[in-house]
Amino acid sequence: MTAVSIGAITSFRVWNAAVASLILLPAVFAADAQPAETTPFAKIISPAIQQYCVKCHGEGEVEGDVRLLGLRSDELAANVELVRRLIDVLDLKEMPPEDEPQLEPQLRQNIVTELKTILRASVSEQKTFSHTPIRRMNRFQYNNAVIDLFDLNCIVFTLPERMMREHNGYFQPETGKMADVVTVGSRPLGKSQMIERRLAGVAAFPQDLRAEQGFDNRGDHLSLSPLLMESFLKLGQSISQSPDFTPRNVGVWVGFFAAPAEIEDQEAEVRRRLEPFLTRAFRRPSEADLLDRYVGFVVRQLDSGVAFAEAMKSVAAATIASPRFLYLYDRSGVDETAETIDDFELASRLSFFLWCGLPDSTLLDLASAGDLKKPGILDAQIDRMLKDRKLKRFCDSFPAQWLQLERIISSVPNRERFPGFYFSKYRGSMHMMMEPLLLFETVLIENRPITQFIDSDFTYRSGILEDAYGDLASELGGEVKRTGGGVTKLSFNRVPVTDRRSGGVITNAAVMTMTSGPERTQPITRGAWIASVIFNDPPEPPPADVPPLDEKPPEGEQHLTLRERLSRHRERSDCKGCHEQIDPLGFALENYDPIGVWRDRYDNGRDVDMSGTLFRKHKFTDIVEFKDAILAEQDRFARGFAGHLLSFALARELGAADQIALDQIVEAAAADGYKIQDLIKQVIHSEPFRSKSNPKTASRQPLP
Amino acid sequence: MRSISRRTFVRGLGGAALALPWLESVASAVSANRVAQRMAHFYVPIGVVRRGFFPGEADHIIPKGNLGAVMQSLGQQNPNLSVQPLGQLTPTMQPLEGVKNKINLITGMDRTFQQGTDVHAQCASCYLSSAEPYTIKGTAWPLDRTLDHIVADHVGENTPFSTLEFSCNSHRDNKESIYFDNISWFGTGHLAPSIRDPRKMYQRLFSTQEIERSRDITDLVLEDAKSLKRDLGYTDRQKFTEYFDSIRTIETQMDRLEQMKSALASVAFEEPLEAHLPRGEYIRLMGDLMVVALQTGLTNVTTFMIGPERWDTPYKFESLFDTPRSHHQMSHNQTKMIDDLLMVDRFHMEQYAYLLGKMDEIEEPDGTSLLDNTLFTYGSGLGDGSTHQYNDLPIIVAGGGKHTQSGQHINMPEGTPLANLWLTQARWMGLEMERFADSDGTVDPLLAAG
Repeated sequence: MTAVSIGAITSFRVWNAAVASLILLPAVFAADAQPAETTPFAKIISPAIQQYCVKCHGEGEVEGDVRLLGLRSDELAANVELVRRLIDVLDLKEMPPEDEPQLEPQLRQNIVTELKTILRASVSEQKTFSHTPIRRMNRFQYNNAVIDLFDLNCIVFTLPERMMREHNGYFQPETGKMADVVTVGSRPLGKSQMIERRLAGVAAFPQDLRAEQGFDNRGDHLSLSPLLMESFLKLGQSISQSPDFTPRNVGVWVGFFAAPAEIEDQEAEVRRRLEPFLTRAFRRPSEADLLDRYVGFVVRQLDSGVAFAEAMKSVAAATIASPRFLYLYDRSGVDETAETIDDFELASRLSFFLWCGLPDSTLLDLASAGDLKKPGILDAQIDRMLKDRKLKRFCDSFPAQWLQLERIISSVPNRERFPGFYFSKYRGSMHMMMEPLLLFETVLIENRPITQFIDSDFTYRSGILEDAYGDLASELGGEVKRTGGGVTKLSFNRVPVTDRRSGGVITNAAVMTMTSGPERTQPITRGAWIASVIFNDPPEPPPADVPPLDEKPPEGEQHLTLRERLSRHRERSDCKGCHEQIDPLGFALENYDPIGVWRDRYDNGRDVDMSGTLFRKHKFTDIVEFKDAILAEQDRFARGFAGHLLSFALARELGAADQIALDQIVEAAAADGYKIQDLIKQVIHSEPFRSKSNPKTASRQPLP
Repeated sequence: MRSISRRTFVRGLGGAALALPWLESVASAVSANRVAQRMAHFYVPIGVVRRGFFPGEADHIIPKGNLGAVMQSLGQQNPNLSVQPLGQLTPTMQPLEGVKNKINLITGMDRTFQQGTDVHAQCASCYLSSAEPYTIKGTAWPLDRTLDHIVADHVGENTPFSTLEFSCNSHRDNKESIYFDNISWFGTGHLAPSIRDPRKMYQRLFSTQEIERSRDITDLVLEDAKSLKRDLGYTDRQKFTEYFDSIRTIETQMDRLEQMKSALASVAFEEPLEAHLPRGEYIRLMGDLMVVALQTGLTNVTTFMIGPERWDTPYKFESLFDTPRSHHQMSHNQTKMIDDLLMVDRFHMEQYAYLLGKMDEIEEPDGTSLLDNTLFTYGSGLGDGSTHQYNDLPIIVAGGGKHTQSGQHINMPEGTPLANLWLTQARWMGLEMERFADSDGTVDPLLAAG
């Protein structure tokens, strides 16, 4: 038994599902019409599997739980997940493992091509996408949706998960240009950043956690409990009963809550107000009996002597406790076959993707008229949405999660060894976390290529951050204003990056710090971060029985470099395969110490050795060559990034059927150098974004 | 406008003697035979003037200005365990003279500050959770589920409210974040909101309108849920049952409250009017509501914040000063304002003493007093408002009846985590717990022998 490669380990879950269905699924698809022995499967794939794979993936206890021995063509075609994983491990050269006989490059290419053909055929025949389950809004979406519904000019409750607070109104996407000087606050770590105009007396429900390798809007993670339901019921009431819920703060006050001067027909007036209100709250026109119930609710209250505004507050509280407001869902379709979502569903998908809140009346009106799907109109709407300031919500949600930036909140480098990380009672991470977020906002607002995330020619720095970078301070670093305490309002300047050791999201201090321990860097953590974030190919966590490497070298190991120490701890063959893949990615960053400061040597005097090879293809001996290697693989990065976007937009994990869409998204956006807004548009135009597979009745094949 | 006087609601409560027949009938109706054990926490913001509160520190140095970077005691403290009878009470503790034999002064308890968040915000929000620094992932706070909820998980299952949170923060502005104004948390980032308005609290406890309004809303949204279910696909309908289950659980709670309502209807507690009350009356009215909630079995666990941390906006202390004052700003100017600050500390202690007296007058079915069946703890998250120290916090534990030793001054060894006291209290309340947050033991002198 030899090494397991990263491919097998990365995808235990997927493999398990794949294998399970291999066993359980009868051959529901007829064998190819062609004589079996002349198909590409019989000529190319099957012999290659026999020769290169079955040694480990044959009989008995197979590696990664993947059994390929005797795999039939129809079995493969029916199992799109397996096809997809085979493509991935072959394409990324994760398989066969390094110390096993290798495929000839041409043969490898041919197999991948044939597998892709099989995948396309299977997907178009089955025509189903993974279904995003019905889910409640997360608290960020809820906060935004309530603001949208009542047109509030303050927030509902304070959200620490919004990492960056905007102080000087710099975020103006309509200009297409990011300001040169921006003033921001670090919400989780900065002083007084949790104080803001909000509705008094309203308590937030708990923060929703990010899915493993996913986002905090994931359908399978957002469920409801009695405690939470009680919070929602109380929330609805505490919002409308808040002393700050006043005409001054509530934009819809006059049109909705304020008592009319003269009421001729009370019921008609209530109905006139409720109809558009419920349409916005529930994101589609209400059916007659629903509207009748809500009108009846108000009329009963008015009849019992409740004042008009109070009765309307009451119905507003009920509206935002209704499942039609709280839950995001698609209406059922006929069967599993993918069908196009309706215009209202499209409006909601658009607004929850780019604005993390309710569709506005423009979107709903277009949906009502049945125009939203028309290509010219849809494109114009996407452009409009990208220029709206509500885009800030996307920037408050997607990039921090994509980059896993919340990890820096708990980073505490050893104070004695890294005094430069601390200033007065605060942590430098307060400034660090802003840099990649500002870079992201700039790339988005200015519609720049996403390769800027790898290697940008500018960045945003504060004075404190410039000082913390030492050698890596920008050329203009000396001119960046040093503001007072740097804990409440942090001033950041746009500075050009000429030294390519800086720039992009990989090598900035935030990422370097959060992927380190208190005493030393953690190359494996860094490698896993690059695999997950940059290439969207996350490794599985290590087996539970492997002890972590001590923070400080034990007696007798002080003279070793970290790489040497780690190699000693990696003698187990089942670890080696996986680490062959992620380690080079992490060691490539060894010149950045645990707080992101450049170093050529370790404390023990040994030189840093960061050299390696990316995807067994691109050799590198310094960080600039490493960045060049990633840029040489920019298609893979773009595909990974598009996958993150699509997964965020659909609030679900991607499946095999989405892979073809990713290919198309990337192909279309490549033409103009992967500009980020092009990618976003292509995501919206992609088939999975505009389809649903949501049968009314139980599927023919019950899922295992 | 002061249309309600102190007298009005004392009369409403049935005068000084709270142990009136209606209360007995209510008590026996709701608490069956076994007397419930309760826990209450009285939180004082911004520390205390050490010279006035701590025995033996009367001549210690007065902190000058804001010594925010010091974060430790300026004077010498006893580093060793000592248990002594409570002798002459210090000036700040004087109001407790009458219940001296039912309290313990506990000194030497520490919390550990986690760098990176505001010192005032953390001292309050993490007072009752006291998690080990940097152990809670993804948050800058060492904030976990707080003691009151952990205890309520055990003793609050059959009361209409598992816990109740009271706050006497009368600020109208939103100057400070929620971390300054809440000591009770369901968990990290999940606030248990407190009620500041006595009318709102009254309605929550006694108003049947509140239940009716909730029922109206649940009825309406249940209809929505039924119609929505018809629009959903097969797998979504399975998941959506969570909504119905959740609503049903809430209705059970409302039923429980409604059952008690008929018994509570006889409570002669007048509904508070919408009017400004002088600070002392406001605090005592909130306190009366807390006592009645504990007495009647509406809940067994409460927290009571007498004011928010920091919050520089001045407010009126009607009986003390002519003009509105900021407790926080005074705490940074002890050299000049120490006498005023001592008055504030003593004022807070008087309110605590008032509530202790009230609880001690209420007779339970077994002849003991409400106080005897309640652990009622006075405390602050800061040892001093100027040094912002997290060590040697001012703590008084009252009540506990025959299950506790009383009338003592317990000085815990230097570095004893505050969580040791919380662990002791959790066990006292019947929880089988090995460890609470960063605890490394219990406060044994508090417990009665055997």
